[in-house]
Amino acid sequence: MDSEKLIEMYRQMLLIRRFEEKAAEMYMMGKIGGFCHLYIGQEAVAVGAIAAIRKDDYVIASYREHGHALAVGTEPRRIMAELFGKATGISRGKGGSMHIFDAERNFLGGHAIVGGHIPLATGVGFAINYEGKDQVVLCFFGDGAVNTGVFHESLNLASLWKLPVIYICENNFYGMGTAVTRAMAGPEMYLKAKAYDIPGELVDGMNVLEVWEKVGKAVERARHEKIPTFLEVRTYRFRGHSMSDPALYRTKEEVNEQRKRDPIVTFKQKLIAEGILSEEKFEEMEKEIKAIVDEAVEFAEKSPEPPEEWLYEDVYA
Amino acid sequence: MPEKILESFEIRRLEILDPKGEVDESLMPSLSADEIKKMYELLILSRTFDQRAIDLQREGRLGTYASILGQEATQVGSAFTIKKSDWIFPSFREMGVYMTLGYPIHQLYQYWAGDERGLKAPKDLNIFPICVPIGTQMLHAAGAAMAAKYKRDPIAVITYFGDGATSEGDFHEAFNMAGVFKLPVVFICQNNHWAISLPRERQTAAKTLAQKAYAYGFEGIQLDGNDIFAVYKGTKDAIEKARRGEGPVFIECVTYRMSSHTTADDATRYRSKEEVEMWKLKDPILRLKLFMERKGLWTEPYQKEIEERSRQIIDEAVKVAESVEPPHPEDMFTYTYAKPTFRQLKQMEDF
Repeated sequence: MDSEKLIEMYRQMLLIRRFEEKAAEMYMMGKIGGFCHLYIGQEAVAVGAIAAIRKDDYVIASYREHGHALAVGTEPRRIMAELFGKATGISRGKGGSMHIFDAERNFLGGHAIVGGHIPLATGVGFAINYEGKDQVVLCFFGDGAVNTGVFHESLNLASLWKLPVIYICENNFYGMGTAVTRAMAGPEMYLKAKAYDIPGELVDGMNVLEVWEKVGKAVERARHEKIPTFLEVRTYRFRGHSMSDPALYRTKEEVNEQRKRDPIVTFKQKLIAEGILSEEKFEEMEKEIKAIVDEAVEFAEKSPEPPEEWLYEDVYA
Repeated sequence: MPEKILESFEIRRLEILDPKGEVDESLMPSLSADEIKKMYELLILSRTFDQRAIDLQREGRLGTYASILGQEATQVGSAFTIKKSDWIFPSFREMGVYMTLGYPIHQLYQYWAGDERGLKAPKDLNIFPICVPIGTQMLHAAGAAMAAKYKRDPIAVITYFGDGATSEGDFHEAFNMAGVFKLPVVFICQNNHWAISLPRERQTAAKTLAQKAYAYGFEGIQLDGNDIFAVYKGTKDAIEKARRGEGPVFIECVTYRMSSHTTADDATRYRSKEEVEMWKLKDPILRLKLFMERKGLWTEPYQKEIEERSRQIIDEAVKVAESVEPPHPEDMFTYTYAKPTFRQLKQMEDF
């Protein structure tokens, strides 16, 4: 991989991190209402995976999706405005944090129902085949979603009908406050793929290059051989489930241990060690990103509220 | 880093009695001559019930009926090992299970004739009403098993479903719960190759249904569902394991639906005669008969006698079922909620 792409990956991860930190700040200030699920700690998954697809491929995610939207290239200011519930938001201020949607970039949303979007991804895969196209779908969800019935129905059909869908479980080890081992039976999660006779793989979600490489292979299989894949990407969320969760169900030691795997810190070390980027360049990038995030907040602040009439729009075609 | 194999799995298939009536003695479960005869008589009774149900439906005396033809061994063989204290959650194609458990036969006809009171189980039988939605009973079974575990009741919960139900989300959720909590539940799939008109190979890309249990961390086995001894042994081992608190088992019984999906379906439109003819040779009753004949347990007069006895039982059941006073049409308003809603009251008034 050329160094430009490596730097771009790092830049995207950093943008997500700083954007999320700012979002948390705005939430605490009461500027953002409703729910807000932060992606801090999991950045390498969205960035690595989305780096492996084409612009015309599809991405669909759960309600922890600010990072995915940023990774597909949705403007940060329009996401921030959406979190603020403003008319200039990417979903016209009516979706909020959990419903970021960018049709122009084939980003099919943020979905609030746990697992609810997995069959939608499956349907998109079906449509691609039906129309004789060669795109693929990346479907992101959490470990809790793996235990919902629609996961089973989707993977069964994807295998049976040879759909070009890559099912990516971002295993952050907790479904809200329930540890994955208390909610999921069976062997290692990725081995569930065997029940459907499709490839299943384990991926280190704190290593952006490993994510990129393994998703890349799955994308090739999906695009050229129409083979779906189930990936268990092990990551960790450094914050609570949502802004209103203090995460008292896990120990500080555990979180500190996991922070050593911070995907941004470790990737930065790698880029420095390999002489790809100097400390000064990192400083520059930090400044550049801070400006983007600050501008996003300013834009959101200044944007108008959606008018009441909009309540009647966008519900049905 | 090189790829490693972390786990791999094997799926066992159990066969004891072949279509020629020969058994593998090393696997043969211990069953007395009387027990084997009892099994045979239940198979004949089940088939007699089934044939009569179809006749009655054709005469307009029953509603839509789902035939069990060809699946009798799966049902009788598995129910033969169930105790009265166990709980059973059936789908709608388990008449052989009901009859083996001693359910009042006239009530079954009553139910298929459209009278829901037929599903009111006798006090000493823990069997849930027929479940028509596909697969929902698997969740009920997991819940009941959870209750049993909580109460430290040394029982097993047995649930039946078809191959189509394995593609349902409910299957996934019930299996996951059973696995996580090591529940005393035995999942019995009657894989009869056809989910209405959808063949097994278009139901899932997996080679076996049994292997699906692997994803939930418990054992899945496949057995010849037309081989009553294999069904009996497989179910008995699983139920005993569940009763001992060692967790769930998934049993895939490979059988064949010789009839159409229901009396409202015509299977000749979507499957070949050759396929059906091939399965006739694997008939579950025929092979047990051949086995018994070899062991001196079967004679022509015996056959005549049990056929006659079955006919009498069925005649009597039909007579009783048809002499029951029909349910009142108002009942449909009365039994949905504890208290009728205002809409129901209005509808009842209009009615």
